[in-house]
Amino acid sequence: MAGIADFLDSLVGGFDLICYSIVIGGLFWGLFVLRPWNDTTESSTVLSQKTVQLIYKGGFYLAGAQLFKIVLKVWLMTAILERWPFPEFAETTQFVVGITRFLLTLLLAGYCFQFLRNNANSKTNWLIALLVAFPMIISGAWLVHAAGRFDNQSLLMSLTVIHQLAAAAWVGGVLQLVNLWLLKKDKQVSSQLWPLMLSRFSVLGVSSVIVILLSGLPIALQYIDSWNGLIGTGYGNLLVVKLILMALALGFAILNKRAVTDYQANANDCALIKRVPHYVEAESLVLITLLFTAASLASQPPAIDIPTLTTSWEEVLNTFHPQIPQTTSPTHSALLAGEAGRVAIIDQVPSIAATEWSNYNHNIAGIFLTVMSFLAMLSYVRKLPITPPILNKYLVITNYWPLGFVCLGVFLFFRSDAETWPLGPIGFWESTFNNGEVLQHRIATFLVLFLGIFELSARLTQNPKSKLPYVFPILAAFGGLMLLTHSHVGFQAKSAFLIQVGHTTMGIFSLILACGRWLELKLDRPGKEFAGFVSVAALFQIGIILMFYREPLY
Amino acid sequence: MRKWFQLAALIGILAPIELVSAHAVVTAYSLKSIPIHAHQADKVELTFNSKIELGLSQVYLVRKGDKHALLKVESGHKQGEVIVYIPALEPGEYAIKFKVFAADGHLTEDIIHFSVS
Repeated sequence: MAGIADFLDSLVGGFDLICYSIVIGGLFWGLFVLRPWNDTTESSTVLSQKTVQLIYKGGFYLAGAQLFKIVLKVWLMTAILERWPFPEFAETTQFVVGITRFLLTLLLAGYCFQFLRNNANSKTNWLIALLVAFPMIISGAWLVHAAGRFDNQSLLMSLTVIHQLAAAAWVGGVLQLVNLWLLKKDKQVSSQLWPLMLSRFSVLGVSSVIVILLSGLPIALQYIDSWNGLIGTGYGNLLVVKLILMALALGFAILNKRAVTDYQANANDCALIKRVPHYVEAESLVLITLLFTAASLASQPPAIDIPTLTTSWEEVLNTFHPQIPQTTSPTHSALLAGEAGRVAIIDQVPSIAATEWSNYNHNIAGIFLTVMSFLAMLSYVRKLPITPPILNKYLVITNYWPLGFVCLGVFLFFRSDAETWPLGPIGFWESTFNNGEVLQHRIATFLVLFLGIFELSARLTQNPKSKLPYVFPILAAFGGLMLLTHSHVGFQAKSAFLIQVGHTTMGIFSLILACGRWLELKLDRPGKEFAGFVSVAALFQIGIILMFYREPLY
Repeated sequence: MRKWFQLAALIGILAPIELVSAHAVVTAYSLKSIPIHAHQADKVELTFNSKIELGLSQVYLVRKGDKHALLKVESGHKQGEVIVYIPALEPGEYAIKFKVFAADGHLTEDIIHFSVS
C-alpha cells in the first residue's frame, strides 16, 4: 500500500497549494481588487459573497488537506519503516507544525464562515481575516524545503513564504476572475464589473509576478550553483519547467492586459467579452499545473547538493537526438530473465532486455502519436478555403484520428509493465496498489483510452451544444500534469533525471495541447483554427520525442 | 454528461503521482576515503544535506543474496552527520541501504555500495 500512500502524498501537496491560493489569493482579491466596502450595490454584494464562499470553502479543504498530509505521512512511514512511527513522529517539527497549521487554517476558515460571510462588505472583517491568516501563513515556513537546511535557513524559509504568498495572490486572483466570469455569464452580477475587476487585478497581478521573481531568484541561487545544475538535475529541470509555465501564463496575462487597455482607450469590449474569459480559463489551467510542478519540485534534492550526480548539457541534448525508432521488442521471457539481476542490490546486472523493452514501448507509442497528429494537422488543411474539393473528399478520413488513442491504450495496457498481469506473474490488483509506478502507468493507459473515445465522439457528434469536446483538453491537461510529476524508481539519480527530462518536456507540450484545444473550442475564427493547429502540433512534438526516446541502461 | 465529466475529473485527480520523495541526499560519506577492512567492526559516517529525524530512520547492511540486517546508528557531531556501526565482515561486496525521514517531511531511500577487502 506504500505506492498509494506515496501517490496520495504527492497529490495532496498540489491540492494543498491550490487551496492555499484560493484562500490567501481570495483575501488579497477582496482587499485589493474587490474592495466591497466601496461599492455596496446588489451586484457587488453577490460577487463579494461568492468570493467569501470560495475563501472559506478553500480554507476548510486546506485544513482537510493538511490533516490528510499528516495521516499519509504516518501511513507512508508505517509502510516503509514497517513499524508504527509513534511516539517519535509526534516529536518531529513536521507533526507539531502540521497539526498547528491545521488548527490555524480551521480557525481562519471558521472566521470567514462565521463573520466575513455575514458581512462581506465590512473592511474591518476583511482586515481581521488577513490578521487571522497571518499565523497560518507563517507556520507554513516550517513545512517547506528550507526547514531542513543548515545554511541560511531563516532567510530561505522567509523567502519561500513570500514566494508562496505572491504565487497565491496571482493564482487565487485568476481563479476569482474565472468565478466572476461565471457569475457574469449567469447574469448574477453586472457586466460592468468584468472590465473593472480585470483592470484592478492587472495591478495586483503584475505586483505578484514581480515579487515571485524577486523572492524566487535568491532561492534558486541558493539551491542551484551552476548552469549545469540548472540543466542537468531534476531540481533544475523542474525549475526550468516552472519558468516555461510561468512564461505561458504571462503570455495569456499580457493578452488580457492588452484587451483591458484597448477597452479603456476605445470602449471596444469585443476582445474583453469574446476572448479574455477564455484566456483566463487557459491561464488557470497553466497556473494549476504550475502549482503541482512546484509541489513536485519540493521533493527534489537541490542541485547544489548533488554535484557528482549532475548530468552535462550534452547528455541532456543527446536524449532528444533523432535516431531510428526501435521496432522490434525483446521477448517477454528474455525480459523476465534479466529482472532478478536488474533489481538486485548486490551484484546488480543491468538488463539490456529491460531497456530495449522500454525503448520499444516508447518508440511505438511515438509512432502512433506522430501518425495521429499528422492526420490531425491534415484535418485543418480541410478547413482552408484554398483546399480543392477533390482533396477534401479524401481528407474526411482525417476526422477519425482520435481512434489512434484507443489503439495506443490497448498497446500500453499490454506493454507498460511486463512483470505484471496480463503478461507477467504479478496480479492486476497486487501490482496496481503496491507499486506507485505501475499505478501511474495504469492510470495513463485508461487516460489514453478515454481520450480516444471522448475525442472521437466529440468530433463526430452533430450536437452543437455537446460538452463532450471539453473532456479532451481536461484529460490532456491532467496527462501533462502526470508527466510533469512522473518519476521512476530503481534508477540511479543520473538515469532517473535523463528519463525525467523527456517526460517533463512532453508534459509541457501536453499542456499546450490542452490549452490549444480548449481555446479552439471557445474562440472565434481565425484564433480558433490557429489554436487548434497549435494543439495538434504539440501532440506531434510529443510523438517525435517518444519516437526518439532511449532509456539509459540500468 | 455530468457523469462523464466526473469520471474525467476523477481520472485527472488520480493522475499526478510521484514515488518516494527524495529530498535528503548523502553529500559525503567516509567510505570514499576510509575503506572497511575484513574481520574488523567499524563505523561509517554519512553526511546528509538536511536534518534527519534519526528515530524515524533505518539503515541496513545488505549482504550477498540481498540479505538485510538492521544497523545501529547515532547522530554525529557535525550537522547532518549520521554514524553507522558496521559489524565485522568477511571480504566481499556489500551495500548500506537507508530509509531516512528528513526534517522537511520527506522520506528518502537510497543505497551506497562498498567492498570489504
